[in-house]
Amino acid sequence: MVPRLHLFAVAVALLLPSLPGQAREYTHQKYFEHYEGTATCLQCHAEEARSFFHSQHYQWRSATAKIVNGGGKEFGKINVINDFCTAVGPSWIGLTNNSRGEAISKGCSKCHAGLGRLPEPGESPEQLANIDCLMCHAAGYNRDLYQRTDGGWEWRPVLWKNPEGLDSVAKRIGRPTTTSCLRCHAGSGGGPNFKRGDLEYAVTERDRTFDVHLAKDGAGLDCLDCHGGSDHKVRGRGADLFGDEMPDRPLGCDDAACHGSAPHTVEALNLHTARVACQSCHIPTFAKADPTDMVRDWSTPAYHQEQDKWSATITMAKDVVPVYAWYNGTTRAQLPGVAVTRGRDGRVGMMLPQGDRSDPRAKIYPFKRHLAKMPVLVGKNWLLPIAVEEFFASGQLDAAVKKGAEEFYGVKDAAYEWVETVRYMGISHEVVPARGALGCLDCHSPKGRLDWQALGYRGDPLVAAMRAAHGKR
Amino acid sequence: MKSLLWIGVVGCLVLVGVAMAADKPADGRELYKEYCKSCHGPNSPHGEVTPMSLIVEQWERFFAEKLEPSHRSVLDPKHDNRPVLEVITPEMLKKIKEFAIEHAADSEHPMTCG
Ligand code: HEC
Ligand code: HEC
Ligand code: HEC
Ligand code: HEC
Ligand code: HEC
Ligand code: HEC
Ligand code: HEC
Repeated sequence: MVPRLHLFAVAVALLLPSLPGQAREYTHQKYFEHYEGTATCLQCHAEEARSFFHSQHYQWRSATAKIVNGGGKEFGKINVINDFCTAVGPSWIGLTNNSRGEAISKGCSKCHAGLGRLPEPGESPEQLANIDCLMCHAAGYNRDLYQRTDGGWEWRPVLWKNPEGLDSVAKRIGRPTTTSCLRCHAGSGGGPNFKRGDLEYAVTERDRTFDVHLAKDGAGLDCLDCHGGSDHKVRGRGADLFGDEMPDRPLGCDDAACHGSAPHTVEALNLHTARVACQSCHIPTFAKADPTDMVRDWSTPAYHQEQDKWSATITMAKDVVPVYAWYNGTTRAQLPGVAVTRGRDGRVGMMLPQGDRSDPRAKIYPFKRHLAKMPVLVGKNWLLPIAVEEFFASGQLDAAVKKGAEEFYGVKDAAYEWVETVRYMGISHEVVPARGALGCLDCHSPKGRLDWQALGYRGDPLVAAMRAAHGKR
Repeated sequence: MKSLLWIGVVGCLVLVGVAMAADKPADGRELYKEYCKSCHGPNSPHGEVTPMSLIVEQWERFFAEKLEPSHRSVLDPKHDNRPVLEVITPEMLKKIKEFAIEHAADSEHPMTCG
């Protein structure tokens, strides 16, 4: 019989030479046959699951040794109010559609490595089964939000209807890559690079002038080379996060294992490292690919035609020059349920670096200074969260603030007013090659970056030193 | 059998000509919408198929081995009831394949075709 050979098949074969190879081999190829959710991993990794359960990445809170007013309590995203999407409570999970029926938001749990349940402090089989190991460990894993028949919501692999595909992905297990960390860290705050400013998707594609550490033609590091801890704890908290899971292993550029505190051949530079943080000279600007959110005014709703979506009025900026401030590793936070305190600038300090020139532990660090306008409960003066998911769709701000107040504090029909806030966010990524570091005149000149008086100097210390050297004090 | 082959050849050549004459070649996403989604949309009796229904490996296998047998005798009501494999030219198919693979379930940007 003449084979039913169709021109089409020939064309396909000629044009598309990538004929399928043998089924690919992955690390966990032989460890299990079918992936049946976290239970599959728990069979062999119950201990690691427990360590992840207790980590800040799962609990979204931890000990707060570096928060001067933390009072020994555990804090984290789960129980605080911030000046980005305000609070997770009212917005944990669920699909919000616009009037055209398109998804505009899926809740904060999008960046939680769980399958949808709120993390609970106590370990239980349900909680362990809720951990989404594949978020960090499986290359090519993707998930989406689905509604269960009981009406509740959960995160599920997009391949849930394709067991063969899911089995393949679930076997591609490895140490987390930069790409897996960035799926949460580059999109935080509601969009690409909105929140941090120095953690951008682009870093995986750019050359070393973008980030000497993470670029492939640079040091070729990945996030874990610096942040890797143990037992699912990560090193480093930055300046504006509450928790610090590894207080005994802080992360800094001057770690002996990395650069030490005298890495320069130019002695004038090493003289600086006692008072000027490495980041201050080596990160001239941030937000080099995607603009970052610099001001978020929640009091003024903004409508976005293309997406048919409401948001706060957000002022974005690119190639941002950091602000510089003293920082001794500790921070003062504005806690929920505590009357707000305003600084000399009239702003409520959401996160303020501590230390000054007279504090020997303090150095001058670079920061992203994030401003916002937030609602405060009249009388008690407590910061209020906003039920942002509903607001994104409806633009009904008043209702969303009242709902936030009720869900967070149980206060009905809250009367509120608006306050201006400020948050200092440490900048530690997007280090440029040495050539691009700040030169002497970037700081020591009348138009330099540093406001000497504000930092506690009478004037430029270099000028003072030169005067002293010439004997005319 | 032979005549069938020739219908295929002529059909393809005609369509190639049309595709080349067009001002802007349609992109993979539009092609997928036009030539696949019509039969594989949500609630379709033939099953919903979007780029993120399959992993890269499965798409490769599909285009190399399965498309021909599974669509050989399928007629496309959206395009004058002509056989699916005549309606879609190899060029179009190449773009559809690239689009499907770029947005496969295990790609960095999984996607439905909208
Ligand atoms: C049948 C037992 C078994 C099952 C089931 C299993 N693993 Fe493993 N896993 C191992 C063993 C053994 C190792 C260590 C040896 C190795 O590296 O291959 C390991 C290693 C690992 C590592 C370290 C990999 C690295 O490269 O450092 C991770 C992460 C991991 N598994 C996660 C998972 C996840 C997530 C699941 C569920 C999808 C899972 N494992 C299911 C047995 C298992
Ligand atoms: C599923 C989303 C998600 C993934 C994936 C993820 N993170 Fe996070 N990470 C978070 C969230 C959310 C927080 C803030 C938790 C809080 O403040 O309570 C956080 C906090 C951190 C912190 C600060 C910890 C502290 O003590 O304050 C570091 C450092 C960090 N992540 C690094 C990483 C690295 C490295 C990876 C990749 C191995 C990674 N993250 C993967 C969501 C994620
Ligand atoms: C937020 C990201 C994240 C999630 C989610 C996550 N892990 Fe990990 N895992 C890490 C990181 C980072 C490391 C490497 C450093 C460490 O051990 O903390 C790691 C290491 C491991 C290792 C190797 C341990 C070793 O000593 O080499 C295993 C096994 C593991 N994880 C299993 C799991 C299992 C099982 C789950 C789900 C119950 C899970 N992980 C969830 C980030 C994650
Ligand atoms: C060259 C080392 C290095 C690499 C690589 C690195 N970081 Fe960091 N990261 C730091 C340092 C240093 C800090 C500040 C630590 C501190 O002050 O506690 C930091 C802080 C952070 C913080 C705390 C918030 C902040 O921005 O201050 C997060 C979250 C974080 N890094 C995530 C990541 C992710 C995700 C990656 C990979 C894309 C990454 N880091 C790669 C060194 C690094
Ligand atoms: C006062 C600004 C300043 C401070 C603070 C500073 N550096 Fe530098 N650094 C520079 C400049 C400028 C260069 C380029 C020197 C050159 O071209 O010779 C440089 C070069 C380097 C180099 C390349 C090696 C070399 O000597 O050319 C490394 C690595 C480095 N710095 C790391 C650090 C670390 C780590 C810290 C913190 C302990 C730090 N720097 C603090 C300004 C600074
Ligand atoms: C990031 C800003 C910055 C850059 C860039 C910088 N300096 Fe400085 N410099 C400072 C600060 C802050 C001090 C004060 C340190 C202190 O309080 O001890 C200082 C102090 C000095 C002093 C000491 C004055 C005294 O009191 O003895 C000298 C000298 C000096 N700088 C020279 C330089 C030279 C030379 C360069 C270029 C190689 C340079 N600086 C680059 C910020 C900078
Ligand atoms: C005219 C309708 C029609 C069109 C157009 C069509 N298909 Fe199909 N497709 C079918 C039918 C019928 C089946 C067989 C369903 C069954 O087995 O029940 C099928 C099966 C499939 C399957 C699953 C079976 C297999 O072979 O693995 C995939 C994947 C698929 N089609 C993808 C596509 C893609 C991609 C396109 C566009 C290039 C496309 N289809 C165009 C009707 C169509």
